[in-house]
Amino acid sequence: MIEASKSQFKVLLLALAALVASVTLVACGGDGGLSGSDSSEATVAEGGDPNSLTISSWPLYIDSKTIPEFQKEEGVETTYNEDVNDNNEFFGKVQSQLANGKSGGRSIMVVTDWMAKKMWDLGYLQKLDHDKLTTVFDNMIPSLRSPKFDPDREFSVPWQSGLTGLVVRSDLAPDVKSINDLFDPKYKGKVTMLAEMRDTVPLVMAADGVDVENATTDDWMAAIDKLKENVDNGQIRRFTGNDFVQDMLKGDVVAAIGWSGDTVQLETDNPNIDYVQPAEGCSLWSDNMVIPVGAPNADAAYKYMNYVYEPKNQAQITKYVNYVSPVAGTREVLLKQDPDIANNQLIFPTDEYTKDCFTQISPPGDEAEQQEVEQAFQDVITG
Amino acid sequence: MKTLRQRLVPYGLMGPGLIWLFVFFVIPMYFMGQLSLKTGSLGAGYELTWAFENYTDSISQYSDQFLRAFYYAGVASFLCLLIGYPLAYAIAFKAGRWKNLMLFAVVAPFFTTYLIRTIAWKTLLDDTSPIVSVLKFLQIVPQDGRVLATSGAVIAGLTYNFLPFMVLPLFASLERLDRRLLEAGKDLYASAAQTFWRITLPLTAPGIIAGVLLTFIPAAGDYVNVIFLGGTKQAMIGNVIQSKYLVVNDYPDAAALSFTLMAIILVALIIYIKFAGTGALMGDEEEAT
Amino acid sequence: MRAWRWLKEHAVLGVGILALIYMLAPIAIIAIFSFNDPSGRYNFEWVGFTTQYWQEPFAIEPLTDALLLSIRLAFFTAIGATILGTLLAIALVRYEFFGRRAANLLIVIPMATPEVVIGAALLSFFLSASFALGFTTLLIAHIMFSISFVVIVVRSRLIGFDRRLEEAAADLGASPVTTFRKVTLPLLAPGVASAAMLSFALSIDDFVISNFNSGAVVTFPLYIFGANQRGIPVQVNVIATMLFAITVMAMLAVIIQQRRAEKMQERRADDDNKATVSVPI
Repeated sequence: MIEASKSQFKVLLLALAALVASVTLVACGGDGGLSGSDSSEATVAEGGDPNSLTISSWPLYIDSKTIPEFQKEEGVETTYNEDVNDNNEFFGKVQSQLANGKSGGRSIMVVTDWMAKKMWDLGYLQKLDHDKLTTVFDNMIPSLRSPKFDPDREFSVPWQSGLTGLVVRSDLAPDVKSINDLFDPKYKGKVTMLAEMRDTVPLVMAADGVDVENATTDDWMAAIDKLKENVDNGQIRRFTGNDFVQDMLKGDVVAAIGWSGDTVQLETDNPNIDYVQPAEGCSLWSDNMVIPVGAPNADAAYKYMNYVYEPKNQAQITKYVNYVSPVAGTREVLLKQDPDIANNQLIFPTDEYTKDCFTQISPPGDEAEQQEVEQAFQDVITG
Repeated sequence: MKTLRQRLVPYGLMGPGLIWLFVFFVIPMYFMGQLSLKTGSLGAGYELTWAFENYTDSISQYSDQFLRAFYYAGVASFLCLLIGYPLAYAIAFKAGRWKNLMLFAVVAPFFTTYLIRTIAWKTLLDDTSPIVSVLKFLQIVPQDGRVLATSGAVIAGLTYNFLPFMVLPLFASLERLDRRLLEAGKDLYASAAQTFWRITLPLTAPGIIAGVLLTFIPAAGDYVNVIFLGGTKQAMIGNVIQSKYLVVNDYPDAAALSFTLMAIILVALIIYIKFAGTGALMGDEEEAT
Repeated sequence: MRAWRWLKEHAVLGVGILALIYMLAPIAIIAIFSFNDPSGRYNFEWVGFTTQYWQEPFAIEPLTDALLLSIRLAFFTAIGATILGTLLAIALVRYEFFGRRAANLLIVIPMATPEVVIGAALLSFFLSASFALGFTTLLIAHIMFSISFVVIVVRSRLIGFDRRLEEAAADLGASPVTTFRKVTLPLLAPGVASAAMLSFALSIDDFVISNFNSGAVVTFPLYIFGANQRGIPVQVNVIATMLFAITVMAMLAVIIQQRRAEKMQERRADDDNKATVSVPI
């Protein structure tokens, strides 16, 4: 028996060795593994390779050629991760790293206006060096140059912009023209709204005649109560991300609050699905490129920002994602390449088209107050 | 007399695994327990204030979602048993040379990601699909009704996704059944039904209980099926925990809810272990505790 | 009368087969839609038949990367969890020792913990220990939740294990190492293999725990969850169908191999010593 146990010890040792070997192998071959656990100082780069760049963005938010071409032309090895599905979720995952001055290897993150502002206020973002962003500021369209949340573009550069409004099956719900029409009992159980509070709630407030940009916490809560009522009576079928589209293609959903760019793409799937500018106005937003603290390679990030602000490069992205392009001159490039896109109101909206629109906002008040509103909205969704 | 070395062998064998579980399960649970008693916010930081009101408040506020989770999970486990028992029985006793193949078919869906399968159910169950038309024809679903975005769809999704966890332990206990007992029953002129109710079912009780636990537990904490198949009034406690953690960033409440969910399940488990012993859950009937 | 009897005889089998159809129906849908030719970006309605996406299954780079990452992750999870779990199982079955019940409990409780709780707890742990989230944290988490399942599978194999075989080998003068290699290991192998397969499957299929602990890394299920927002590419169906087909083929190979082995054994020793067919999982 003693002999037997000896052999078992050997097996055990071997097994352990194999395990340790495999774990180290993976850790080294992987993403830098536990490197974040050494307590290096804040904002110091983690293994910053001057010729590599890691970007965190949303799924299917870029065409397949831009990154390879950028790599080739600028000689910057680029890792493009599609790991942002939701501003809040993403924030929850990266928050503690950023709080410790680490970026998790990222040099660019793409987040929506209010999230960029939230991160900036918490000190998670780097101040941009405008001297290194000459192409960006030469080409940025005027209306995006000084948004309320970042008047001097100190920390954010728009990636793409868009409108939040109505998406309607024009064959099944031809008379939906305003947000209030979504509450028409005729469409009971065939209406969805976005699970992003800042998309949905301001539009509902606007429908009730609230001056959205000066809305109080009470206004927000009143709109949320209205939503709750319409959840309780079965009017609203679901709160969704962009996946309401699936229900709409089938006709299970006939009207929804949704985003402009994805609707443009639906044209080819089903020409009866239209974006309708709500009578009350729409919500305007941008997703922004930001550079987090501790970014290993800010210079590569600047290179990338300048690169995508070249109209010809931007045109390629716009053709694929169909959102509003922040780059002046893109339309001119596209007029030659693809006039349909160049003349699309949703991709190159005129001032007239967006005259009633407001910039997307967060609830007023401090962190605790905002969290309370967010919680109230979540309680409606998970009611 | 065993030598010291011999006595240390089992600890050596278990060491790495238990350390892994301790470091990456017990300690995180402890952290979470601590977090659940803190107050504060993401910006300002958290402080341990033994805030037991995190528990009382969130339990009373979300009792609906708790009850709904247990109700859905309960119905889903029951349906799993109803579907899984004949399947496991067929595999164990009737499949003959097809036994292994059928068993593989039970496990195979694991390899086509859970999410894709759930999304496929959306295609199968949309408002105009043939399945829904049949259900309407049979008056199971009202004429102006729907299946997607209802409790029924969520329960169906849970049943579907966790069925293998029911079939496998059932199969294991049926397979292990001493067939001579069944023959004895027959010899004593028991009818097939009697043999089943008096012999087969009681002897496979441990398998049934293991199967019910293995389906009920993951189903009770699930939130994915609600996201894909549910509507507005189907959120389970898993959805609340997920949104508290990842959307609202209210970590203490999220931790308190997680702990409560786990505590309830643990109580059920302890009752079960008292009844059947840890061994039974692990497919080991020889070791009665 | 005969028909009735036949029906009675085969009723259970019929219900079983219906249940299997229920389990496989979504997979059929997935496979069918892998040949769809959607007009736009959404692959939910049948438009027309094409094999285009089967010809370029790996054309979408982020998808392929996610798949490769998931396979790598599942592979190392299977190795890690199988080693740790097998050792645990051996200790629990073969030895009497102080603390055995506690060990049993520590193995059972993770299985009794909802995934959302494990995911959240691990996230707070990794965050407060300032681990960088990524592949390593995923591997740690996946090994953690797979261990218990491995223990169960290997354990049930060990319990049915005839220790007299080992003793016989020892009596015949085999050294302990030889005994382990030539007797213990081969007999244990099917159980260990099933355990490895199960942990591979659990890992490649996991969404909830991964969603909490992935950091910047995107696994196959996470990719699908994200892509679902903007239209799942047909390639996802193609790859899912491939994964399924590969699994089925591997399983068939195992079955055929087993049949052959059985037949040979039957020829060798016609009666009592019939090898029990090893059951995966």
